[in-house]
Amino acid sequence: MSTPHESDAKKVARGLPFSESTRVIIREDPQEVSVYIAEYIVSRIKAFKPTETQPFVLGLPTGSSPEIIYKILVQRHRAGEISFKNVVTFNMDEYVGLPRDHPESYHSFMYKHFFSHVDIPPQNINILDGNAPDLAAECASFDARIARYGGIELFLGGVGPDGHIAFNEPGSSLASRTRVKTLAYDTIIANSRFFDNDVNKVPRMAMTVGIQTIMDAREVVIVATGAHKAFAVQKGLEDGVNHMWTLSALQLHPHPLIVCDKDATLELKVKTVRYFESIEQAGTDARTQGPPLVYRPRTYVPAPLPVKKAPGLTTPDRTPVKVPKDLRINTELHRAMEEDELTPDSMSSRMVDSAIGGLDGALKNDLIFDRMGARMTTL
Amino acid sequence: MPGKTSAPNTPRITKFTNCRLVRGSSLVEQDLWIDSLTGKILKDQEAFYELHLSPDEIIDLGGRILAPGLIDTQLNGAQGFDFSVPCATKDEYDQGLRLVNQGLARTGVTSYLPTVVSSTPEVYWKVLPSLGPTANTHTPLDGAESLGAHVEGPFISPGRNGIHKPEVLRSAQTYDDLLHCYGSSNLAPPTPHTSPIKMITAAPEVGNMMAQIPHITDAGIIYSIGHSDATYEQAISATHAGARMITHLFNAMRPFYHRNPGVFGLLGQSERRRPFYGVIADGIHLHPTSIKIAYNAHPEGLVLVTDAMRLCGLPDGVYEWTNGERIVKTGARLTLEGSDKIAGSSATLIECVNNFRRWSGASTADAINAATAVPARLLGLENVKGCLDAGADADLVVLGESDDPYSGPTLTVDQVWKFGVKIHDADKVAAVAV
Repeated sequence: MSTPHESDAKKVARGLPFSESTRVIIREDPQEVSVYIAEYIVSRIKAFKPTETQPFVLGLPTGSSPEIIYKILVQRHRAGEISFKNVVTFNMDEYVGLPRDHPESYHSFMYKHFFSHVDIPPQNINILDGNAPDLAAECASFDARIARYGGIELFLGGVGPDGHIAFNEPGSSLASRTRVKTLAYDTIIANSRFFDNDVNKVPRMAMTVGIQTIMDAREVVIVATGAHKAFAVQKGLEDGVNHMWTLSALQLHPHPLIVCDKDATLELKVKTVRYFESIEQAGTDARTQGPPLVYRPRTYVPAPLPVKKAPGLTTPDRTPVKVPKDLRINTELHRAMEEDELTPDSMSSRMVDSAIGGLDGALKNDLIFDRMGARMTTL
Repeated sequence: MPGKTSAPNTPRITKFTNCRLVRGSSLVEQDLWIDSLTGKILKDQEAFYELHLSPDEIIDLGGRILAPGLIDTQLNGAQGFDFSVPCATKDEYDQGLRLVNQGLARTGVTSYLPTVVSSTPEVYWKVLPSLGPTANTHTPLDGAESLGAHVEGPFISPGRNGIHKPEVLRSAQTYDDLLHCYGSSNLAPPTPHTSPIKMITAAPEVGNMMAQIPHITDAGIIYSIGHSDATYEQAISATHAGARMITHLFNAMRPFYHRNPGVFGLLGQSERRRPFYGVIADGIHLHPTSIKIAYNAHPEGLVLVTDAMRLCGLPDGVYEWTNGERIVKTGARLTLEGSDKIAGSSATLIECVNNFRRWSGASTADAINAATAVPARLLGLENVKGCLDAGADADLVVLGESDDPYSGPTLTVDQVWKFGVKIHDADKVAAVAV
């Protein structure tokens, strides 16, 4: 996991791409958002070139926003563009105590909208068992299974109007892993529309992956569509990291991609929207110029940083052999000098912006006069 | 994976996709999974998650209709074979029956009630043991499956005999008369599963039949009013006694009359359960409007039957009929020689479905239901036959839709599946012919 102040050098050392940042893609409507995400997932799976021994591990949500994405993925599959044979899936959540084949269970949702229409082998599917005799053990086993596959490559998720991701209701620990959660009253009311509008029929508890489970995925893609998600998007993007808006945890993730429709950006500052739009216009389209698809070790624990002893920190036992420094110093002039003679170069030559530095350059190239202002600052 | 343990040439789990399933009164775009090992329709989600089964074969039906196999509750014979004519030996008879079953399956009929017209007791004794339900021993390649025999007569009204030979008609005073006529082992066996007779058509007003109806229904046999001159009141009494069906409504019964609606009047009731009724929608037996009247009066009870006989599919001409009489076949029309009496039909059940759909304005699903779900309900097999619910027998027909220049939209039987195995494919037959 990266920290906000991690330097670029450290990122490079970890093999992470330089350009990591929150990517926000804004599209006109939910359909366009879904097309974008579906194509993104397809391109990711294809680029990964999954095999039976090294499958693509995909985290999946349920809900009305993802439904369109699944529909498009199924269409792509039917058109022969993508196979899910070597894809392993982990679902975010499932109700506790609801029969597995109940029409509103997430097993049923996934079966109806996705699994029954594609070529994914059933044994590659992992959905939490809400009827397991020992729910805690089931959760632990779920995390263990994720770990056994080397972590999740891409976690697709939605976001609730209160900013929740998976069933991590406001107030969830940002360090949480898969566990049983009591549903927030808001969520129960919202979901009662699937249970004959009777809040008493809505299961009170659910099992869900934790924030940390999502954060451990190498990439997180969030779909947010509709005006009712606008406040959550604003809180998640513009405000600080806060467990009351669990979406905001993604600010700490190296590869979050949030795809919104216009309505979901309603609460954002114009400045924020313009910024993300300009990033996309500048060619950082996530499909083409996103983070390069470098292979990263498939482990939870980030690989230990290679400890390189910085030169100069230890006392050398003998006078170091002089090596030409990679500075903007014209060393050609001194080539004739004794190699072992310590010849300090002039302080001014190190100052590239200085007039003298400019003269140094002029010895090799054309003479270019510095602006007056440049001289002023150095004085 | 368990799916890979079955024989390599027959895929165990077949998934039909890109098809429209008959669900209730509508066609629904949905997949269907079947298991050739059990011969049943799969609870697919459970099989997927619980047993980790995935389809061994996926069949894209290109938007065609996938319907339950058709059920014909009144069929006298086919392929030149007549159920009412005993052969020299039982083996010979059974051999003819096998040919009928296989030929019938190609028309989309996957189960049926072989129907025996009024005959002498000796005929019943000989043929009925061969016509009983075969569910336990039936294999897919046997073709259509008998659900039990339908004995039409001989306890019928002499005035409404149709082409049934008057000499063999009789009347029953006691239940023993029935036992003697049909053979006691064919009528009152210990369990309904082994009872060869599934349905009896008799006139309630003839002899003391009214009193025998409860005995019949107690034996697990459906009593159907037919070939009857019953008045409305007599028909009502028969339904009180347990009659659940009317055999080929309008044909061979007292016609509807506004002062006494006769058997047809049963459809006008609303205060109690109305009986099912068979309708021969071949365009010859009934006027389309008559079918429409009956259907509008009682849509849930209409059962399409062919009443087809052995001449079905044979060229026009004069053919020998039972008991020395002869039948003239002119196209689909069959009449008794020397009279205008209609002698059964030579239509197939899918043709009846097409006619019925055109004439009644019923939805495609409801037209199909009249030859699947409704007869299954009549026979008490609603979760086994005539539906696409999980656990039901995987008897299926794939129906294509073509636009016939003369008769309009027409359903055609493209494929037939019995117990989860494909036994007929019109495309392949055509390919072989080319």
